Amino acid sequence: MNGAPVIEVDSIVTRFGAQTVHDGVSFSVPRGQIAAIIGGSGSGKSVLVREIIGLLRPAAGRVRLLGIDVWSASEEELTALRRRFGMLFQDGALFSSLTVAQNVATPLIEHADVPPHLLGPLVRLRIALAGLPVEAASKMPSELSGGMRKRAAVARALALEPEVLFLDEPTSGLDPITARAFDRLLRFLCDDLGLTILVVTHDLDTLLSIVDRAIVLAGGKVIADGPVKEVMRVDDPWLQSYFRVRTMLQGTENNRGT
Amino acid sequence: MNASARYCWLERSGEQATLVLSGTWHLPRIAEIDAALAGAGMPASPLTLDGAALTTLDTAGALALLRRIADAGASIERLANFSVSHMRVIEAVLGRLGDTAVEAPRRRHGVLALLGMHVLEFRALMTGHLDFFGRSAAALGDIVLRPRALRLKELAAQFQHVCIEAIPVVILVTFLIGVVLAYLFGMQAEKYGANIFVVDGVAIGTSRELSPIIVAVIVAGRSGAAFTAQLGTMLLTEEIDAIRTLGLSPMQVLVIPRFLALVIALPLLVFVGDVSGMAGAMTVANPLLDITPTTFIERVHSELRLEHVFVGLVKGAVFAAFIAVIGCRMGMTVSRDSRSIGISTTSTVVQCIVSVILLDAFFAILFQELGY
Repeated sequence: MNGAPVIEVDSIVTRFGAQTVHDGVSFSVPRGQIAAIIGGSGSGKSVLVREIIGLLRPAAGRVRLLGIDVWSASEEELTALRRRFGMLFQDGALFSSLTVAQNVATPLIEHADVPPHLLGPLVRLRIALAGLPVEAASKMPSELSGGMRKRAAVARALALEPEVLFLDEPTSGLDPITARAFDRLLRFLCDDLGLTILVVTHDLDTLLSIVDRAIVLAGGKVIADGPVKEVMRVDDPWLQSYFRVRTMLQGTENNRGT
Repeated sequence: MNASARYCWLERSGEQATLVLSGTWHLPRIAEIDAALAGAGMPASPLTLDGAALTTLDTAGALALLRRIADAGASIERLANFSVSHMRVIEAVLGRLGDTAVEAPRRRHGVLALLGMHVLEFRALMTGHLDFFGRSAAALGDIVLRPRALRLKELAAQFQHVCIEAIPVVILVTFLIGVVLAYLFGMQAEKYGANIFVVDGVAIGTSRELSPIIVAVIVAGRSGAAFTAQLGTMLLTEEIDAIRTLGLSPMQVLVIPRFLALVIALPLLVFVGDVSGMAGAMTVANPLLDITPTTFIERVHSELRLEHVFVGLVKGAVFAAFIAVIGCRMGMTVSRDSRSIGISTTSTVVQCIVSVILLDAFFAILFQELGY
């Protein structure tokens, strides 16, 4: 089971009207990896994730998630599949009329047969695993800071013990310290809980610190796919300028030091 | 082998108790696992856990295990034969077991405290409305001094929404009310052969009372709610902050055009309602009461004093001011989440309708005393 890829994307084509967003995108992610999708604005990163999790149908191509063909599966198969992955939307998408604890409890009550005396502890475990303090459980989403709201959304995404976690720009809008703490959370989920993680990100620090593998989208195709160190050396104008920002920042730091 | 033996069983060798775990310990089977743990007869002494036969262990399974051990008063002496990944899961849960036990404090209030809170909230609401009304008046004063500050384009757009687009529904509702009124009046009046007085009743009742009230309720539901939802969403997306930072006044840009549009629109709609209500009455008066349209119109002409119509129009303008102020203020004070927009919109409609009815009662006495 460990050998088969968790996510397999095979020659995906996406069109919005006359505009072709993806023109044969293929990659696969094995179990227990943190993979990142990077690319310029409008390169269809978020669209790709929505196609993988069955929210948006691609014009052509196949998506296999945990061995199930997402776009030819029956509704029952999809429902079963949805319990096996979690998705973190850009703004958290917490239910604003429910407390954090109720948000996390919702999927547990709907989809799992948890004995009543274990439900509370299990919800609080999810909240603690996402790195939130216990007091956050009884708060409303509107009372939380941006970073805490993302963690609460992770707690909800973790509720059903998913095997795969999708994240859409998890560190955007967070300060660098909160963002790095969030990165460590992802690494912990991957290493200690064995999750496979696919993250759409712009954050170079995330990319360089915790990501095992980068998949670069440009012009509707995958132009580079591999460990971040290798991707950095790929000769592509967008990629080179993307990574140069980082080098420039380090350069100024070094100059200041001497 | 019974069902509970599939997940765990206790083995003893002398003093040493070992809990052997086996099979798939994951969330979908959590109820069975918990039952198995409850039936394992855990001793209140240090335990060795044996994970050699364990195939899957997730955090839910680990939590059930660790809590049952803690509840039984037992402790873990040794973890034997666990795979590296299962060890990690157990450690991750063990480190947070304390957190899972703490019940977060619930915020509950007694009846008296709730009553007090509501009273204070109501007071804050009223003073807030008064404050907003004052600032709207100041902004209006500004317009009088500098007429060029008035945003005519926005005013026209709002007028289109609150007046022109409301005409069909106003006509429909008041026409039907006119029909019903003439029918019911007619049934009574016919007994005394006083058919012709139905016209007086409908004409005065509609123009003085029914049309203003009904139109105001329609407008409160249509435009009052729309103002709150629009301004609330703009606040949520920081558009109102953007207006402020660009050196513009949200009062002048957003509130005054809506306020003026509504104050102009409502009397016009009331007039539309007057005409349409009487038209409704006229359509049933002919077949039911033998009052021909000509007779009807002549009777209206001789009996309906202009005062009645003016009273209705004046009431309409005052209702409009209240609806606009409440709708705008509720929109500009939503808290920053989508739920509160819904709550504020509901509140706007309720407040508008209640204040329209209260104002109407006040006007009934006022105009009576003034002799209109």
